[in-house]
Amino acid sequence: MEKVIFYLLAIIMVASAIASVSSRRMLRSVVYLLFVLIGAAGLYFLMDYNFLAAIQLTVYAGGIVVLIIFSVLLIQHIEMELEIAKSSRRWFSALLCLMGLSIFLGTIYSHPFAVAETTSTTTVAEIGRALLSFEKGGFILPFEVISILLLAAMIGAITIAKGGKEIKQEVPESLDIDKILQDAKQQAEEKVMELESSTKN
Amino acid sequence: MELNSFLLMRHEILLFSIILLLLIAELFLPRNKKSSMIHLALVFFGIHTAVGFLPLAEGSLFGGMFRSNEMIHFFKGVLNIGVFTLLLQSAQWLEKNMLKQDRGTEFFLLLFASLLGMYFMISAGDFLMFYIGLELSTLPVAALAAFEIMKRESGEAAVKFILSAALASGVSLFGISMLYATNGSIYFEDIMSTLTATNLTLLGFILFFAGLAFKISLVPFHFWTADVYQGAPISIASYLSVISKGAAAFILMILLFTVLKPLMHVWEPLLYILALATMFTGNLFALRQQNMKRFLAYSSIAQAGFILLGLVTGTQLGTATVVYFVTIYIFSNLAAFGVVQAISSQTGKENMKDYEGLYRTNPKLSLVMMLALFSLAGIPPVAGFFGKFFLFTAAASKGYYLLVFLAVVNVTISLYYYLLVIRAMFLRKGENPIPFFKSKIYMKLGLFIAVMGMLALGLYSPLYDYIYELSAAFN
Amino acid sequence: MGSEAIIVFFLAGVVLVAGANFLSNLISPKSDNPQKREPYESGMTTIGPTWVQFKVGYYLFAILFLIFDVEVAFLVPWAVVFGEMGSIALVEILIFLFILGLGLAYAWKKGALKWE
Repeated sequence: MEKVIFYLLAIIMVASAIASVSSRRMLRSVVYLLFVLIGAAGLYFLMDYNFLAAIQLTVYAGGIVVLIIFSVLLIQHIEMELEIAKSSRRWFSALLCLMGLSIFLGTIYSHPFAVAETTSTTTVAEIGRALLSFEKGGFILPFEVISILLLAAMIGAITIAKGGKEIKQEVPESLDIDKILQDAKQQAEEKVMELESSTKN
Repeated sequence: MELNSFLLMRHEILLFSIILLLLIAELFLPRNKKSSMIHLALVFFGIHTAVGFLPLAEGSLFGGMFRSNEMIHFFKGVLNIGVFTLLLQSAQWLEKNMLKQDRGTEFFLLLFASLLGMYFMISAGDFLMFYIGLELSTLPVAALAAFEIMKRESGEAAVKFILSAALASGVSLFGISMLYATNGSIYFEDIMSTLTATNLTLLGFILFFAGLAFKISLVPFHFWTADVYQGAPISIASYLSVISKGAAAFILMILLFTVLKPLMHVWEPLLYILALATMFTGNLFALRQQNMKRFLAYSSIAQAGFILLGLVTGTQLGTATVVYFVTIYIFSNLAAFGVVQAISSQTGKENMKDYEGLYRTNPKLSLVMMLALFSLAGIPPVAGFFGKFFLFTAAASKGYYLLVFLAVVNVTISLYYYLLVIRAMFLRKGENPIPFFKSKIYMKLGLFIAVMGMLALGLYSPLYDYIYELSAAFN
Repeated sequence: MGSEAIIVFFLAGVVLVAGANFLSNLISPKSDNPQKREPYESGMTTIGPTWVQFKVGYYLFAILFLIFDVEVAFLVPWAVVFGEMGSIALVEILIFLFILGLGLAYAWKKGALKWE
């Protein structure tokens, strides 16, 4: 029965992944990507990695997809569709992908993996103990270094996004409603003037 | 666990405290005092560099996740001097452009964070720490590449860098996962004893290698190099080509000679081919470059090919020569980038044509540049000659005569384009040469350290003996 | 839990959503005219492209959210074992939180949390 669920998830993931890379609208690609990520969470649940699945849902499906959506919306010409590559190039890349896939699948399937005799669920408490342990098999150093990594990422992101004062003038204010209204008003007035002058003549 | 055993992480703890201190200072310093941040950061890092040379014990911490020995300690010291020199050289640019915009401290914060990542990467005792170190060393540099955000090229360089870096680290992580799947452990010690050349481990190794090859910009993974160097601020281009590449070459050497030693029959021919491809591509593309940053980018790709020449041997002689060569390369390239930086921050000129007649107007700068290019090319009086000579000896001692011959051909090609720059500076008169200018004291000091490093490494032979002694740790 | 239940749940979800769409297509009255296809059926037509570029502020908020999201992912296993590990766990998490707290303070100071 678990096999059925696995194949259901696999079909959803593969189909969405293909749709994601072949869709010509960026926003749709992101949404298809979301399905792939949720499917991955489903796989983790299936393998009893409950904590990992929860993280997958909160961080990837919750956080990263939102981030990607926002960065897509930052683009000026979002209605733009990606251009279609030449068919020779498409065939070439499809062939390349298939070759890569066959190499990977061939090697992975040919490897004699040992099947685990007993399966046990990794509990959150076990993860917590390993995370805080100093001994071999403990992850306290990576745990602390990751906080530095997050700090650096935060500073870097703010540095790029905020920039300095000189940059602010360069960012186009596209949500400036007053300006749009004023422009429209001016255009309308010009039209009226034109009409008036033409009727006089 | 005793508290003083943490002293093994002295480099990391000190650098991390500097980051925290600078961050706190940035938070609480009033805006009009911000220009003192540069001096503060320089003083802090100078102390850190000096303290870094005090001797340090060998050992490992956290169950083998973090390890240090004298070679690692020595190389961290070299990286420290390199970054210190780089900071001195970029002080003028930073002061001029960045403090106006209320952001200068971030430069130091991000640069130090990246250096900290390199420390952890070099000291890593398992693949997880290695990977986190790799990420920590790459991510801040992407933000730094976009530091001159008003310039379109700077942002473009950052995007190119982050995309290719993300791809490389993803591929690398996939490779690591395969190595973990076949060995059942992420600790280098455990893997070393269980690693055998099955298909899956080989695939994992190749994927993992690709990630590191990206950082060293070996040939199939070098496409980002020239564009990023050209677009990014000169300090960051210099950092990428000097510190980042040096550290990555060093960790690649450690991994190949220890953990991945059982796969030697695989990586030996692989490195052989990559060395040739990298040298030839780098040199042939460098011939046509007009922009100094692009020129140095291709020259640094070619130099990476020479590093592989020493790696391919897999012997103690190979270790020593690689470390020696990388150290020389760091100083030579710092001197070259330093001159480009000095000229660019004064006049904004970056093309080879602008350098015509430089000797008449700025004789000192052009002499430094000449020494640096001689060292990069490998002309006798300067250190670069000995670096290349030892590399060739190491490769020849393992019987790679054809490889050495082709490398010598490459040295000849590189001589041509290095001399092109020298000819422009010394022999051409130039229509409007760069007028005479005086560099700030920091810049002078930065160039002085780089030149002294080049000369000392070449003329003072005990340094090489010392490196050779240390290199026993990895064989 | 039986995995049959999940399959049944999945199928029920698919059938319900697809069925509702199909039925509403089938039985709803349809009308089509040019006015109906206008972006606004009443009022002015829009000026300029309807897609507007988002402010960079959204992106900044998203990335800060993501960073703290990851932080929470690390806090959960800590919280589970905090009781049994005691003071050493407290010290470890305080270092972790201090570093990220500084990041938050930095973001605050730089005005990244302010909506402009």
